Amino acid sequence: MIKEQAIHDLPALIENLTEVIRGRGGKVFLAKTKTDAVNYVAEVCKAHNAKLAVKAKSITSEEIGLNHALKSSGVEVAETDLAEFILQVSKEQPSHIVAPAIHRSRERISNLFKERFQTDKLLDTGEQLTEFARDVLREKFLSADVGISGANLIAAEEGTILLVESEGNIRLVTQLPAIHVAISGIEKIIPSKKDFGIFIELLAASGTGQSLTSYTNILEPPLDLPILNLNGRNDIEREFHLVLVDNGRMQMRADKVLREALYCIRCSACMNVCANFQAVGGHAFGGECYTGGIGGAWTIGTTGKTEEGRFAELCTGCSRCVPNCPVRIDIPRMNAVIKSRLMKAEGGPSIQKRLFADFSRLSRLASVVPELSNWINSLPIGKMLLEKAAGVDRRRAIPRFAKKTLVKQFQEYRNASPVAVGKNDILQRAVLFADVYTNYNSPHVGMATIKVFDRFGIPLALSEVFPEGRASQSQGLLERAEREAQTLAIYLEELIDEGNEIIVVEPSVLSLFRYDYGKLIKNDKQFEKLATHTYDPIEFLNKLMDGDRVDLSESILPAAGRLLRPLDRPPAHLFYHAHCQMKTIGAGNAATDFFRRLGFEVEVSSVECCGMAGSFGYKKEYYDLSKNIGNDLIIQIKASESFNDEKVILASGTSCREQISAELSNPIYHPIEYLERILS
Amino acid sequence: MNLIEEFVQSAAAAAARVEVIPSESRFLNESLSHLIQNEKSVLLSLSNELGPKLFSKFRLDSRVIAEPSKEQLKSTRVGITDAFCGVASTGSVCVSVSRSFAVPISMLTRSHIVIIDSKTIVPRPRDIFSTHFLGGKGLHRSFSFITGPSATADMGQLVRGVHGPGELHVIVLAA
Repeated sequence: MIKEQAIHDLPALIENLTEVIRGRGGKVFLAKTKTDAVNYVAEVCKAHNAKLAVKAKSITSEEIGLNHALKSSGVEVAETDLAEFILQVSKEQPSHIVAPAIHRSRERISNLFKERFQTDKLLDTGEQLTEFARDVLREKFLSADVGISGANLIAAEEGTILLVESEGNIRLVTQLPAIHVAISGIEKIIPSKKDFGIFIELLAASGTGQSLTSYTNILEPPLDLPILNLNGRNDIEREFHLVLVDNGRMQMRADKVLREALYCIRCSACMNVCANFQAVGGHAFGGECYTGGIGGAWTIGTTGKTEEGRFAELCTGCSRCVPNCPVRIDIPRMNAVIKSRLMKAEGGPSIQKRLFADFSRLSRLASVVPELSNWINSLPIGKMLLEKAAGVDRRRAIPRFAKKTLVKQFQEYRNASPVAVGKNDILQRAVLFADVYTNYNSPHVGMATIKVFDRFGIPLALSEVFPEGRASQSQGLLERAEREAQTLAIYLEELIDEGNEIIVVEPSVLSLFRYDYGKLIKNDKQFEKLATHTYDPIEFLNKLMDGDRVDLSESILPAAGRLLRPLDRPPAHLFYHAHCQMKTIGAGNAATDFFRRLGFEVEVSSVECCGMAGSFGYKKEYYDLSKNIGNDLIIQIKASESFNDEKVILASGTSCREQISAELSNPIYHPIEYLERILS
Repeated sequence: MNLIEEFVQSAAAAAARVEVIPSESRFLNESLSHLIQNEKSVLLSLSNELGPKLFSKFRLDSRVIAEPSKEQLKSTRVGITDAFCGVASTGSVCVSVSRSFAVPISMLTRSHIVIIDSKTIVPRPRDIFSTHFLGGKGLHRSFSFITGPSATADMGQLVRGVHGPGELHVIVLAA
């Protein structure tokens, strides 16, 4: 990865770049702190007696507080990106990297302009508003003394700056006034402009979905370009200043977790797929300057204070950002580490965090007398106590503990109907992993899997019950998650070495084995084994069918037909919501593919995450947000083809099913559970 | 699909208007005259990417300004420049930063007419940074990829023509 290597070689790249630009007559200033950076820019303005600077969008300039500093030294700064202009007029801070003003409606912009500029012009349409802003800013461009830009990337070997934009303001900022100051974080430096092409293609693909934004500028300043002096000045030479901002980045580089944030190319794809960010925006899910899932690490890095990154708690670990990030930054992992650091700084986990992290131990206790536990949990007093002591929102139904755990049900089932197939007829050795949720709360899903697999000559064995590390990790108890993961990995590896495939019904657990364990168990070989031998049950059946190892459709179709024929209609419409983490590990389509093979119409939700995210939706402080996000899913289900109370909804995540069943009385099944119903 | 066809399609998808004409002075003159029929004056700047002979006829048009004053730069609506290459996958044209007036013309006017030689169309953006294309020309200059007109979505809908030209016409000179 180019960025990874570049951050590794950063000190040498900075040196190289400095030499090249100085050799061309430009000036380079390496600013250790934000104060150093703003003071330097103020000095440049002062040396040229500049009164007005036109500025392109630059997050780094926000980070160092440039506008404020220049203003206090008597320089007016005109933000020229339209979104930034609107924000400057309304004196807000940006909340989103690529399109900072998207949360403002046209009507509000119109009122804002009328109020601020005292104009009677018609400002109803987007065209009118744009034309008005253009005129105001064109005046600024024609009279500005200095242009200030950021940089998307800088090539060290050639001293080339890459600047991507759609409005044309960056071209004017960098090429109209004779004096150009570019401000950039040091992490933007890559070795050579030969690599620009690939980044240009990446940015185009992930940012706004256009093929390429209108202007992609490749500049090697000071530029050899006529000086127009439209501003009335008599500048005779072009001058270029590159301000390279450290401001904590070298510290981030030394931190093996935060370092990854330096690879960010600010395309904002992570925020576009983040359900929480889309729901609350950058003011809640962000710091002074950096927002969203990636914002926690950046805020901590540039302020030097872990506390400033507390908003990272809003990351549920749904992981939808990971496959959407063009440089594949593991944002959920970074946020788990931030949560863990915050907790340590506070002297340990809160009661709430301990409760959720201890779900496995608590479940074991509660399941000794499940009726009693369920009864207490359903009482107003029980709920009140949970809310008071542990911050569990009393509006949530507490997961019910099953009367008999999966382990118990499995023993009874096998005792009553022992495996009938002979050893040699076994199609595939496989073990059902008894995860904590399935064992204590949804054993019926586990039993359904066993029964379905029995029919196809795959008599499943049942694993021991282990905490998998999911609960600990999401509460920020990282060391504990690592211990749990490492113990379990040894156990699973043994099973795999004996020739077993591992079937996992709970998607958040499956994605642990296939994704998170890569970092939790710190053993690449072992992880590789786990990642390639663990399956969602339906995914596994698809694989058998694909490999022609068994024609499942023959066994299933007549049964499916039986179920459907009496109703005298084509195979039923199903609504399927893929679990967020299932999508990330590439198993999001398994159930859709499977049931479509059987002739079902399957509608699929387009929401990234149901908003429940395990414990997240239970917490008092996030209940409303969680419900708000879940509402998008509920709306989609209600709008689906031939919706009525009977319509079957499929969701593999226990917490997705909780979220949906709190609002709808429809039958909701794990896909394997539904398959078992069709078959019997 | 050949590179010219792909270029035409991508440029049109990026909201540029594209025409392909034979690389001859009279055809170019015809196209340009048609495009500027309602204009009182136009700015023209060439940076030797195309043979000067191609413009021999068009240059005689009295509305053509080759050495603009400050006032003319600020107020003229239409500007014509050449570009040193095009990109097929994105429909971009690449305008060099040079001693000519191509940069100010292509950023200050309302309508930008840009002329490229079809032989300079490369497949993808990354090819401009490779020595295999254009004789490595793209590696040794400052330039801007221009892909369709200036645009914004910040006013609640897509609007073309913000700080840069709201119209982009591309004339491709085929062999």
